[in-house]
Amino acid sequence: MEVLLGITGKDYTIIAASKAAMRGATILKASDDKTRALNKHSLMAFSGEAGDTVQFAEYIQANIQLYSMRNDTNLGPGAVASFVRGELAKALRSRKPYTVNLMLGGWDPITEKPSLYWADYLASLAKLPYAAHGYAQYYCLSILDKHHHPDIDFEQGMKILRMCTDELKRRLPIDFKGVFVKVVTKDGIREIKYEDDMPVKSA
Amino acid sequence: MDALVAQYSRPAHHDEGYSQDEQQELIESTPSLSLKFALPPIASPSAWLRAMTDDYSNPNCPIKIAHGTTTLAFRFKGGIIVATDSRATAGNWIASQTVKKVIEINPMLLGTMAGGAADCQYWLAYLGMQCRLHELRHKRRISVAAASKILANLVYAYKGMGLSMGTMCAGVTPQEGPALYYIDSDGTRLAGNLFCVGSGQTFAYGVLDAEYSYDLSEEEALELGRRSILAATHRDAFSGGFINLYHVKESGWVKHGFSDTNPIFWKTKLEKGEFSNVTADLE
Amino acid sequence: MSRRYDSRTTIFSPEGRLYQVEYALEAISHAGTALGILAQDGIVLAAERKVTSKLLEQDTSAEKLYILNDNMICAVAGMTADANILINYARQAAQRYLLTYNEDIPCEQLVRRLCDLKQGYTQHGGLRPFGVSFIYAGYDPQRQFQLYQSNPSGNYGGWKATSVGANNASAQSLLKQDYKEECDLKEACGLAVKVLSKTMDSTKLSSEKIEFATVGRTKAGKVYHHLWGADEIDALLKEHDLAKKGEETAENVG
Repeated sequence: MEVLLGITGKDYTIIAASKAAMRGATILKASDDKTRALNKHSLMAFSGEAGDTVQFAEYIQANIQLYSMRNDTNLGPGAVASFVRGELAKALRSRKPYTVNLMLGGWDPITEKPSLYWADYLASLAKLPYAAHGYAQYYCLSILDKHHHPDIDFEQGMKILRMCTDELKRRLPIDFKGVFVKVVTKDGIREIKYEDDMPVKSA
Repeated sequence: MDALVAQYSRPAHHDEGYSQDEQQELIESTPSLSLKFALPPIASPSAWLRAMTDDYSNPNCPIKIAHGTTTLAFRFKGGIIVATDSRATAGNWIASQTVKKVIEINPMLLGTMAGGAADCQYWLAYLGMQCRLHELRHKRRISVAAASKILANLVYAYKGMGLSMGTMCAGVTPQEGPALYYIDSDGTRLAGNLFCVGSGQTFAYGVLDAEYSYDLSEEEALELGRRSILAATHRDAFSGGFINLYHVKESGWVKHGFSDTNPIFWKTKLEKGEFSNVTADLE
Repeated sequence: MSRRYDSRTTIFSPEGRLYQVEYALEAISHAGTALGILAQDGIVLAAERKVTSKLLEQDTSAEKLYILNDNMICAVAGMTADANILINYARQAAQRYLLTYNEDIPCEQLVRRLCDLKQGYTQHGGLRPFGVSFIYAGYDPQRQFQLYQSNPSGNYGGWKATSVGANNASAQSLLKQDYKEECDLKEACGLAVKVLSKTMDSTKLSSEKIEFATVGRTKAGKVYHHLWGADEIDALLKEHDLAKKGEETAENVG
């Protein structure tokens, strides 16, 4: 029951990832960060098979950073997404595929637009205004369908995120221990303090 | 003769209180299998039925049962909103887009259908019959609690034999006020303020939970019910067709249309700017 | 003396020179002139065609100008056969980048890929270096319009206006004299034909003797490159009064 959520707005992309690291019926850690910063303006969140996730994310992170060093420029979010999809597709056709679902939040300093890419472990990639992975899809996409608009400001974006996490807390049968929230803007990636302990009112 | 007429023509909702005995009788009035409901002549009916009909465990099953649905009902200060989609699917086949999933048990009571369409239709019609019999026997309308219990006990009697239904009973009675019950074929029976049932339930829950409040006005409540079904028809492949909307209040239920989702979707998108996901201009 | 160090490209002479590379540069300095000028809204490349003949099929035999990618073209000075190998390599590199990143390769990266290959032949393999210099014109969103030049040693650099091939020294000084930083593409084209007319041997130019190409952006912001047709070149020459009077076809058949 891992949760990944992404919301774009006027000038930002919010990525939220659940904090619980679960193995079977046990929560091993309640403050697991399922994201990696790839470069100044790209953040990748991941969920899926234990082991595969971090291995793949750090492999991608290393390659994106290598690109930055070699070319003295950062790869844009669109290029990062294509590269990541390519690597995942390559692995899928190898002896040992990575079973990893991904979400890429980015800011393109050239077009000055935020972006969000969604990719699943079968390496299908989609650029979306908002996205979710896992069970969160079933609960949150209808909320986002209703409340999301492309030009919303940051506060509105966080308000929608709160609606989503509240709904997950209310309806998911397993506690995911709240979410880490990070936002990508023109100034880079920063973590947002997110209140997880507030009780959620049920109908 | 006049006495007889007088006896049976009392106002329908005269005194709706139940005695302890009557409650007991209600619960025990569950019909036994003596209804002569034909069972297949095999050792393990549920395993047989599953092999024959369950598209999930056996994709080659000869009979595909209609499964996908979105239904919802919620209580608010003005009564109860009941809304459903109208799609019937059998496997990947859309069998119908104009199914009536709200069953009008009587002018005060509504039932919703999710799961096996045949099971729901049959047993809710049966419930309607029992409710009418109760009315005739006791000279007052059945409570929602009692009606739902009849159904719950009934399906529980068939537990493990392959029934598949998720239903809600909504009604208003003087002694209960607006009452809402969820009953499924496992035998679960729950009273509550808000339920969504079917393959599209999560999508409906998403929209509904976010804006639900007991103090909604009638217009707001109707709109929220409509919008929640729309959300589910948009995201769930097994839900779609028309939005069937009801409002249950003290004077009985009122129907608020059986409306095509397609124009409603485009109206919602174009006028309110929702569903920004649906666009041709994402590179 | 030089004999001992000539036979292998990979060995320095006592003066610290790589003779084979220098000979390659020498070969290029006899090739037809090619020049490039960077303008505010685009880039022009122009080149002198050495082989002219009435029998030559004009349309199908571009000798000096090639398309590398959607965002880049180049002019060649030197051995065309060697250039073909490098151009093919560059095209493949650009396509591979497009496949991986779903966007055009940044200009400098493509130039560097080619130059890395060229450099390899000055150091190992015991092979001959490529006998070509390139002028590259391209656009990428990060650094807009860019003009580069590279030579057989694998060195490259970015320029505002540059030239290679025969008479490139005089072409270069003419460019230095007349180049204006805020010129637009049209003015740059004018400057290009003017410089070419002075550095080429024949006094009067014609579309058979030069090739012309531009890189620019449409009003919608889409990058285009355009290899000019004979009629367009003739029109430009006429405009600048450099065309042969009377009939346009060449008399001095090569």
